[in-house]
Parts: sequence; C-alpha cells; structure tokens
Amino acid sequence: MTLKQGKSNQSYFVTNISLELNLMRRLEALGLTQGTRILILNNEKKGSLTVKFRGTRFAIGKHIAQNIEVSEESQL
Amino acid sequence: MSTQLNVGFVGNPNCGKTTLFNAYTGANLKVANWPGVTVEKKEGKTTFENETYRLIDLPGIYSLSSYTIEESVSRDVILSDDIDVIVNVVDASSLERNLYLTLQLIELGKPVVVALNMMDIVKERGMELDLHRLPEMIGVPTIPVSATKKRGLSILMHAVAHHKDKKTLGPLVHHHGGSESHPHDHHREYAMVYSDEIEDKIDILTKELKKIYPDSSNYRWLSLKYLEADKKIKNQYPLSLPPGFDEGNEKEIIKEKYDFIEEIVDEVVANKSEKTARTDKIDHYLTSKWLGLPIFLGVMALVFFFTFTIGDWLKGYFEIGLEAFSDMTIKGLTAIHTSPLLTSLLVDGIIGGVGGILTFLPNIVILFIALAFLEDSGYMARVAFVMDDIMSFLGLSGRAFLPMVLGFGCTVPAVMATRALETKKDRVKTILVTPFMSCSAKLPVYVLFSSMFFGRNAMFVSYSLYVLGIALAIVTSFVLSKIDGTKATHSLLIELPEYKSPNIRTITIYVWEKVKDYLTKAGTVIFVASILLWILLNFGMTGYVTDVSQSLAASIGKILVPVFKPTGLGHWQIIVALIAGLAAKEVVVSSISVLFSVSNATTAAGMSTLITTLSGIGFGSVNAYALMVFVLLYIPCTAAVATIHRELKSTKTTLLIITYQLAVAWFLSFLIFQIGSRIF
Repeated sequence: MTLKQGKSNQSYFVTNISLELNLMRRLEALGLTQGTRILILNNEKKGSLTVKFRGTRFAIGKHIAQNIEVSEESQL
Repeated sequence: MSTQLNVGFVGNPNCGKTTLFNAYTGANLKVANWPGVTVEKKEGKTTFENETYRLIDLPGIYSLSSYTIEESVSRDVILSDDIDVIVNVVDASSLERNLYLTLQLIELGKPVVVALNMMDIVKERGMELDLHRLPEMIGVPTIPVSATKKRGLSILMHAVAHHKDKKTLGPLVHHHGGSESHPHDHHREYAMVYSDEIEDKIDILTKELKKIYPDSSNYRWLSLKYLEADKKIKNQYPLSLPPGFDEGNEKEIIKEKYDFIEEIVDEVVANKSEKTARTDKIDHYLTSKWLGLPIFLGVMALVFFFTFTIGDWLKGYFEIGLEAFSDMTIKGLTAIHTSPLLTSLLVDGIIGGVGGILTFLPNIVILFIALAFLEDSGYMARVAFVMDDIMSFLGLSGRAFLPMVLGFGCTVPAVMATRALETKKDRVKTILVTPFMSCSAKLPVYVLFSSMFFGRNAMFVSYSLYVLGIALAIVTSFVLSKIDGTKATHSLLIELPEYKSPNIRTITIYVWEKVKDYLTKAGTVIFVASILLWILLNFGMTGYVTDVSQSLAASIGKILVPVFKPTGLGHWQIIVALIAGLAAKEVVVSSISVLFSVSNATTAAGMSTLITTLSGIGFGSVNAYALMVFVLLYIPCTAAVATIHRELKSTKTTLLIITYQLAVAWFLSFLIFQIGSRIF
C-alpha cells in the first residue's frame, strides 16, 4: 500500500520510495529511507497529509505520499 | 596572519541559528518559528578575549547535498576559505534529525563545534542528554547553549577559539565491533565509519584522487561525494575509475549514517519520552480537515479586526496631538513673522505630509504584532499545509502561501521569502501575485478614504479591499496555471515545528524593526516626497505661482487626466498623488494632504474640509472606492520593484509584472467606477 492510503494515527514502515531524483534525495536527507518508521498524524484530506518520522513532523504533498510504499510490519 | 577568525553558523532550518547570531552580534535579524526565515547569509562581528570573530549566519539546511539552492549555496560558503570554524547549531530536542547534518559537517574536515541549542525544551519534556557521551561518540566538542536566554555563549566561543586549528577529531569511543574484512580500523579516526564494502571503495577512490589531485585535501570527503554521485564534485574532480567499479552508494551511505545516529541517540538520550502531546493536541484542531481553513480565515479576520479597531482608537490620540502641534506651529511662526511661503512649506508640506503619516503608526504596530505572533508560534508552517489543497488547485504549492501572508506586512521580505519555493515557475507566479496582498503601507490610504466616505461601514470597506486583493491573486494564479498548462506537483514538503509560546523579545525586535522602517520612511522618502511635491505645487513654468492649477504638478497631472477619466480618477491632484505613491504607498495620503493643503487631513476636522474640497471637484464615494482599488493593485513601491528585479534577475519579467499590475488596477477601477456610478 502507499502512504496516502494509510490511516491517521497509525505507524508504518517504508518499503520503497520511487520519486524524482531530487525529491527522493531530499527525503533521504531527512532520514526517510527504506525501513524508516513513519507515523501518519492526519490523512483526512484529499491532498496533503501530516506525518512524523525520526522525531519531526512534516506536511507532505499527495504526490510524495502516493509514491512511498509502506507496510504495517517492519520487513527488516 | 590576521587574527580574525571566521565562524560559520550552520544547522537545520528553525534550530535557532539566527537567535544565536543575534545574541552574539547584538544584531536584530528577524527570527520566527517556521523553516526558511533566513534566506541570505548575514555577517556580524563579536569579540571574545580581545579577539575579533567574524560570524556568518547561513540559511538552514538539512544536508550538504546539492539538490536545493540553499544547500549548494551554503555548502560552497562552508567549503570556501571564508569559514575557518563551523559552529553547528543543533536543536537538542530533535537530535535524531539534526545529527545527520552534523555527521556530514564533521566529514568535511573543517573544525566543527556543536552548539546544543534548545536545552530548555529538552528539560521541559523530561528528557536528559548525556553530555559526556555525545562528544565521545562524534569526536567534536558539544556545548549546551540557550540562544534565547543567552547562556553558554562565552563557553561556546571559548571552544571555537580552542578548536580552530584542530582538524583531527577528539577521542572517539565506539562500542560497535571492529571491521571484519576491511584492512583499517577507522573507529579511532573517524566519527562516522561505514560498512566494509563502502570503506573499501573509499580507499580505492582516495588512492585514485591522490594520484591525480595531489594538492587537494580531505580525500575521504571527496570519495564519499563520488559514491553519492554528487555531480558538482564529479565535474570538479574528473576521475577515470577502475573498470567494474560500481559507484552509486548514496542510499547505503545515508542509511548507515542514520543507523549510527540511532546508536548515538540510544546511548545519549535518556527518558526519550514522547511528551510532545501539546503540539499534537493543537494540531488536532488547527490542521483538521473541516476546521483548518475556517480557523485560518478567522485568525486573519481577527488580525485585521485588531488592526482597524484598536489601531483606530489609538490613532485618535495621535491625531489630537498632531492637530495641537500644527496649530502651535502656525501660531509660533506667525508670532515671529515668518514669511507665508516658509510657513506654508513647514505646515502644509512637512507637517501635513510627514505628520499625517505618523498618525497611522498604531495601526501598523498592531498589524505587525499580530503577524509576529503568527510567525513565532509555529502556526505559519501549518498554514502551508491548510492551504495546500487550494493552492494546488491554483497550480501552486501550499508553501507559496507563506510569502503571500508575509505580503500583508511588506512586499519586500515577502518577495525574498519566495526563495524557499521549489521551482522557478512557482517563484515567478508567487512574486507576481504577492503585491496584490495588501501591504501595511496601503493601510493609511484605506483608513483615510474609507472613514471619510463610508463612515460607519469604514471597516467593512477596508476588509473588502483585502478580500479583493486575495481574490485577484487567486484568479491570476489560476488563469496563469491554465495558460502555461502546469499542473500542481503536489510535492509540498515542509517541517511542522513544535508550537511554542511566542517570545516577547523576538516579537519586540520584529515589531521595533518594522516601526523603525516606518519612521525612517516617514523621515526620508515621505519627507522628501512631501517637500518635492510642495515645490511642484507652488512653482510653475513662470516661477512662484499662487494658483495651484498653474503649477508644475498640475501640468504633469493634467496630461494623464484623459487616461484616468474612465476610472473616476481623472483629477490631476489624484493622479499626482498616485504618481508620488510610487515612492511609497503612504505618500498617496501625505500627497493628498499637501495637494489640497489640508495640514491635518487625518483628523476629523481635516477630513470634513477634505470631503468638502473633494466633493467640490466631483469626487464622491464611488470615486473613493475606485481610488482605493487602484492603490491596492497598481505598481508596488520602488523598494518592492527593486526587490522583484533583484530576485528575478530579469528586467523583462519585472516590466511584464509591472505592466500587468497597472493594467489590472486600471481595469478594475474602471469597472467599479462605471458600474458604481450607475447604481449610486
């Protein structure tokens, strides 16, 4: 499933990110890599959502969230 | 050798670099609680034990890659000889995020001193940091500081002084096992040691680099950049790699760094409680699907409500003072038999022009206090989130809304804040519409004309102008996105900082800087403009004239009367005021006072004189509204135009923007006047 399909107040683990190179690099620099635990704070809206990973909250756009694959279980 | 040491302040966005910089240099640079406030590097000086330190405050960055403008700019500055020691400002309450940049900085090979900021928040949350273990693990001195309370400042400078030459790291003690196949044990040498596979590759690259670039330094860093496929470094140091050498290890490098950070955090942070519930509770409402937008609109309405009501109430007292001063001056000047010409210059020109503008100070102060609260609380970043869906519909990112909110204060910093936007197209579009967000300098125009012509409905009339400006910004961006066919990228990415109670000092600095700007403007631009205008009004082709309609100003204004006639602004005095308003928008008000020689135009008595005069030339409430709309939309002041030009680096685009704004202003006031004068 993608991050955009996730539920609010639920934690997931990143399994794959496939985005434009510069976006991907920016996310990676923020510590969002494969295996990172990500908590969805608010995914009520159609578009952007708020998440928390590595101790910091972020607002991220729909496009980013639709291209991050997550699973409920850690695969590592 | 010069003794001056160059110290660069580097750190994540919103970690308190600028607050720390201000604490050292006594500067009053703007700080706020949203990422991206500092967009330019700033310099200042401080002395510590008789030595001068040159401090450089850099924009916040998350990493040293070169994927965003700020990052590559900051990296170039850090790498240049311009910086001797790096002070890495770290938000201690968010070590996991901040240490990533720290590890990259240490790898650069320049002396690094870590300033652990926000220790008070760490305490507040019941967390504890092992300040003994942390430097052991990363090999650089770590000094706890409080930028807001100015604690730890001299200890930090002391550490800087002592570590300025140390390129090797301090004692490193790591508990993870040594290497299995890699021939070197790096754990005593480097803070960040990678897996054997990567360490082997670093060795190969280092050997090759040393052969071709023997004069270079820090091969380890260059090798790492090679493995991260950093284009800039690869072009700078071309290298023919051994056949079969597989680069492209960026993912592993990042991951291994974060693995090491997890190790550090595990050992260093005690009571890692998630006691951040307050921010989550507030966000539950402020970022909620249904309440987010209404709350934001309510907040903005409140901002302007305070600006107009409390501001106007205080303004009353300023007016009484001005009137008394004006009367006194006239009496005094008459008593000492000053020539009527000089009296006119002093009373009509200077007091009328500059003094009139000063009475609006309370409105301006309250507007900026409100904006400072918004910016310092942490709410601004949420605004980007709340507005993202609407902005996406307009083909922009939610982040583009932040410069627009700043535009309510002043267009100049708002235009500069567009630097944080991801794409050039977004920047141009945002810069085009930001001047439609009515800036504080236009406020005096609304307050004066709406209270003159609309009495009890004055506040709603002023509101309507703000709404009109926002509506036009929306329509413009929407039409533009349809024309150039760009779809929103939906790629918003912004950190949402913890909420904090606004800091009184921060707000005081913020507001004081704005007040100072306003007073300076009154004393310079508006002062000169008022005198110039007085001269243009009292002198004609033939010298001193008694009939203003024969003056130079009148002849200039009259040329343009036919152009402005359809918009209801076809009076030479109004046109002259609008031209003068290009210097600064408040000048429209000061010019009206000078043009109609009403030295106390902003007071009740002055207003009634002015209304009578204006009605005399057929200027009624519909004309007044058309005028306010024109002022809202036409070319921003010269300072804003200069900033737009500097930021876009294109005369053509700047001219296009100005032309568009002028055209919109003319057309809208035309519509309002034509329709309005048929109804009323």
